[in-house]
Amino acid sequence: MAKYILKRIGFLLLTLFLVASITFFLMKLLPGTPFNNPKIPADQLVILKKQYGLDKPVWMQYITYMVGIAHGDFGMSYQFPGQTVSGLIASRIGPSLQIGAQAMVVGTLAGIVLGAIAAIRKNTWVDATATIFAILGRSIPNFVFAALLQLFAYKTGAFPVALWGGFSYSILPTIALAIAPLAQTARFMRTEMVDVLSSDYIELARSKGESRWQVVAKHALRNSMIPIVTIIGPMAVDLMVGSLVVENIFAIPGIGEQFVKSITTNDYPVIMGLTILYSAMLTVIILIVDILYGFIDPRIRLSGEAN
Amino acid sequence: MKFRKTMVAGTTIALAGVLAACGSNSASSNGKSITRMESDVISTMDPSTNTDVIGGQALIDTMDGLYRYSGKDLKPAIAKAEPKVTDGGKVYTFNLRNAKWSNGDPVTAQDFVFGWRRTVEPKTKSQYAYLFSGVKNADDITAGKKAPSTLGVQAVNKTTLKVTLEHPIPYFKTMLVNPAFFPQSQKFVEKAGKKYGTASKYLLSNGPYELKNWNGTGNTWKETKNKTYWNAKNVHIDTINGQVVKDSQTALNLYQSKKLDIATKISGQQAAQAKTMPDYRGLKQNGTFYLELNEKKDPIFKNAKIRQAISLSINRKEYIKKVLNDSSIPAANATPEGLFTKDGQDFAKEAAKNDGSATKYDPAKAKQLWTEGLKETGQSAPTLELLTDDTTSAKRSAEYLQSAFEQALPGFKVNISTVPFKTRLSRSQNGQFDMVFSGWNADFPDAISFLDLFTTDNAYNDGKWSNAQYDALIKQSKTTDATNPTARWNTLLKAQEILTKEQGVVPLYQRVETTLQRKTISNLKYNPTGSYDFVNATVK
Amino acid sequence: MATPKLSPDAFKHVKVNTAEQERIATPALTFSQDAMRRLKKNKAAIISLWILIIIAVISILSLWFSPSNPNKQNLNYANLPPKWPGVDLPGLNGYLNGQNKYAGMGKHVYFLLGTDYLGRDLLSRIMVGTRVSLFIGIVATFFDLTIGVVYGIVSGWRGGLTDTLMQRVIEIISSVPNLVVVILMLLVFKPGMTSIILAIAFTGWVTMARLIRAQTLQLKDQEFVLAARTLGESSVKIAFKHLVPNLSSIIIIQTMFTIPTAIFFEAFLSYIGIGLPAPTASLGTLLSDGQKNLQVLPYQLLYPAIVIVVLMLAFNLLADGLRDAFDPRSEH
Repeated sequence: MAKYILKRIGFLLLTLFLVASITFFLMKLLPGTPFNNPKIPADQLVILKKQYGLDKPVWMQYITYMVGIAHGDFGMSYQFPGQTVSGLIASRIGPSLQIGAQAMVVGTLAGIVLGAIAAIRKNTWVDATATIFAILGRSIPNFVFAALLQLFAYKTGAFPVALWGGFSYSILPTIALAIAPLAQTARFMRTEMVDVLSSDYIELARSKGESRWQVVAKHALRNSMIPIVTIIGPMAVDLMVGSLVVENIFAIPGIGEQFVKSITTNDYPVIMGLTILYSAMLTVIILIVDILYGFIDPRIRLSGEAN
Repeated sequence: MKFRKTMVAGTTIALAGVLAACGSNSASSNGKSITRMESDVISTMDPSTNTDVIGGQALIDTMDGLYRYSGKDLKPAIAKAEPKVTDGGKVYTFNLRNAKWSNGDPVTAQDFVFGWRRTVEPKTKSQYAYLFSGVKNADDITAGKKAPSTLGVQAVNKTTLKVTLEHPIPYFKTMLVNPAFFPQSQKFVEKAGKKYGTASKYLLSNGPYELKNWNGTGNTWKETKNKTYWNAKNVHIDTINGQVVKDSQTALNLYQSKKLDIATKISGQQAAQAKTMPDYRGLKQNGTFYLELNEKKDPIFKNAKIRQAISLSINRKEYIKKVLNDSSIPAANATPEGLFTKDGQDFAKEAAKNDGSATKYDPAKAKQLWTEGLKETGQSAPTLELLTDDTTSAKRSAEYLQSAFEQALPGFKVNISTVPFKTRLSRSQNGQFDMVFSGWNADFPDAISFLDLFTTDNAYNDGKWSNAQYDALIKQSKTTDATNPTARWNTLLKAQEILTKEQGVVPLYQRVETTLQRKTISNLKYNPTGSYDFVNATVK
Repeated sequence: MATPKLSPDAFKHVKVNTAEQERIATPALTFSQDAMRRLKKNKAAIISLWILIIIAVISILSLWFSPSNPNKQNLNYANLPPKWPGVDLPGLNGYLNGQNKYAGMGKHVYFLLGTDYLGRDLLSRIMVGTRVSLFIGIVATFFDLTIGVVYGIVSGWRGGLTDTLMQRVIEIISSVPNLVVVILMLLVFKPGMTSIILAIAFTGWVTMARLIRAQTLQLKDQEFVLAARTLGESSVKIAFKHLVPNLSSIIIIQTMFTIPTAIFFEAFLSYIGIGLPAPTASLGTLLSDGQKNLQVLPYQLLYPAIVIVVLMLAFNLLADGLRDAFDPRSEH
């Protein structure tokens, strides 16, 4: 197992290297300059580019950059003169991680419960309600949902309308973000649970006299959760995209908003830094999921090691 | 039911507690504070490298240059009085007042020399170094050909600053309000090194406020009154809290929930809504939006009648009212209103008296000119692309223009191409467009900052409109008329009329920013450069 | 009591009719016929199917029969609330915040779902928008299906080095954040529908491939596959005959998620300002325009939102029905 994980970490680093390389060259195709002031005269532009090393051939810039990140230096932002990319990310990632993690936990747990209840009470009004609720969660774009939540906060005064302060400020953004993973988990959970509940070993357990809840708790839940593990990675990506919208509407000092801004303003080092960070988070999540997968379903572990 | 009542009571008590806490908080700090909104973060507080109005506002709040705008009035600030101008307008000698940095050091002429040299030095990577063009040797220094120490600025003694220009610059004084011309303490800047201007602790102020609790990238900050400011007695608001809000609806909600005292840059339907509120303020911006027609790529635009027809087919009033929803002003000229004034006269308004008909809505005449123009050029009605960037207002404007052109000008077909801002910029500069929706903001409040754009060899003349008489007039304003304000005014006015009558560029509107401001705030003035002056402002 | 004797006459000699013995009383059904039969029993699914068909047909018919030109502007009619002639219900009578917005416009001026900021008929725009969104969703899903399923099965089935390599490729592709891809595509191609579809497709199939692979790994070791293998069936045949039917529930559910995901992603792009170029309408552009006016002109958000919710409900309920129908295991 240790050997397998080590091997995977090696691949992970290779993946990150490839992602960084591909993004670097694609990014250089972006039109325009990283400079904000549209009035810079042409001769000044040449001088500025030289100062930033942008006059060198792209492959030389690439080598400089790669050597830099090998030493842990992600460069300086263009849009924030004097700020290092790592400092910039570090100073804004806190709120994003907080609402992202809260949304993931709340969304998945609530989804599992909702999906399980729907499956156990299959074809009853409980099932129908849970299903429609889950579908509605997937049917309303998060920018609409976030705006509705804000309207609710504004009209009732029960929650802060926006801004970032204590925990109470994170409640509405978390709900706005959690609705998508909640709905997705609930749907998957229901489907899998229905399958599992009708399988032979459940029938066997039932015939041995175990109660319905015992069966659900001991066998069905565990086996139904396997496919959910596989969608955690993609859901995490959705959360990154969603966080951008939510951070914008609730005026949260996070990183998601900064990402789009860095792309549209050609802030090369920040684009690279964030792309690598997102990729790293994603690949690590996938790695963890694969390892977890082995623990939850012993059959996979066998074939995994056979590799 | 009972439960619900308890809940409500509980919430009320909790809220009351919060409110009480807030009240006692501001009372305990024993001062007056307001919270103002910005639409984006401060990206730097280094006067040499700042590029945006948000950093600009914070710099004006925390620093003082030779001059300071108080509303429309340009008043000497660190300069004690108006400078002595000698050598035919080429040498300015400023006497500095006794001012202090927030660490107690005096603000000296040497601080200006250091700050200016630092900005023009290529190593600093300032995007505004070109503003110094015209100061002796500035161009050679930014090009790396001469040492920064050769810049035409000199500390005669601690309180006397001498500036030498290469040629007279009639609007030189107005440029001095730009943060790039602010003083910088050599001792402090060199100690902070690369970190200068990247967080509260790497800042030194000589202005009305000090910036606190700013980590360099955050959405909030605090500006507290600077007790060492030379004019501190006229600073009446003790604390200004900065808060970044990007969404207009959120801004409006926060304002109405009393979390903001000034909400700016409200757009769309929220602007229409804000306009009906008693707290509404419209702030004229020093920029215009216009349409550039690519004469090089599409020779049909070389025909003046075609360009005029395009201008006449736009109903600017309706377009602003219904599409932009704000209080923007229909632009009769490329130069905006309220920017350039002389003896109480407004340049743009004066020009419009003679050339206003060129931007009037007249679909019948537009159609007639269009048909004539097509006949003269011998072409059939074209299908062209309208390039625009991806902001909501730009997109909506393009949609409106598309429909307006297709309705008024027979046979004209318009396709819209929406691209990110920087792509739009690079395409306009490379001439990869037929028509482009663009805008320009003045670096300094003078008509020349707009009129210069449309001379034949200007790099920003994206449409490549060219008129010999116009070029001659602009040149005249810079040479023979340079030291004669009245002659210069008249010459520029003539040039503006040619540009507008010929529609070398099709002006659309001058943006007026929709802002909400509490009635308790008074005497807060807005400058022609697009920022507030919090000196003298009061809050009840 | 005497036991009555049964007379031999009481018995008849049975003649075994071999043909009769093999007769099946119910008609023979193919797999898909059987599935259709099961699907027809599911009312919710059938209603959803009809709703989808109706929505699709209306949105396609609006190409020729539209209440008005969806791109025709009239600034005099900008931001009008819905008005149904002769109906005096709040929300449908042309009043907004107690004001008659149609005052002085003449009797024959009415818009069933109101107008937008350029005075364009919202009903017509919703029709066009639905068509555009469905198109984007379906084309993107088509990519998902073909690429994702094939990739997933091959990867899971072949295993070994092939699987490892293919997984690395997936990892790399899915490790590049979508937005970078989309914006770069906007650059390479002309901004518009094609680049958006390609961008969604480029990143979208990965999830499907990953799910399919995981399921294939599970199925691979099951007895019926083993049996087929032992009997010497070719891999391709096993894939189509045994794997695909057993993967169908995952495929269908994922497909039904992909359509809204694609529609949503397009909406998200509209929200951040790099969606479809104007004046093309899609549910995404309508929703993001409406969202900006939620508190002032709620109807501009409400109606596109209703359409998207109905679409999603129908897709999902139909997916459930299909899943139950295609997956024989669920008949327990």
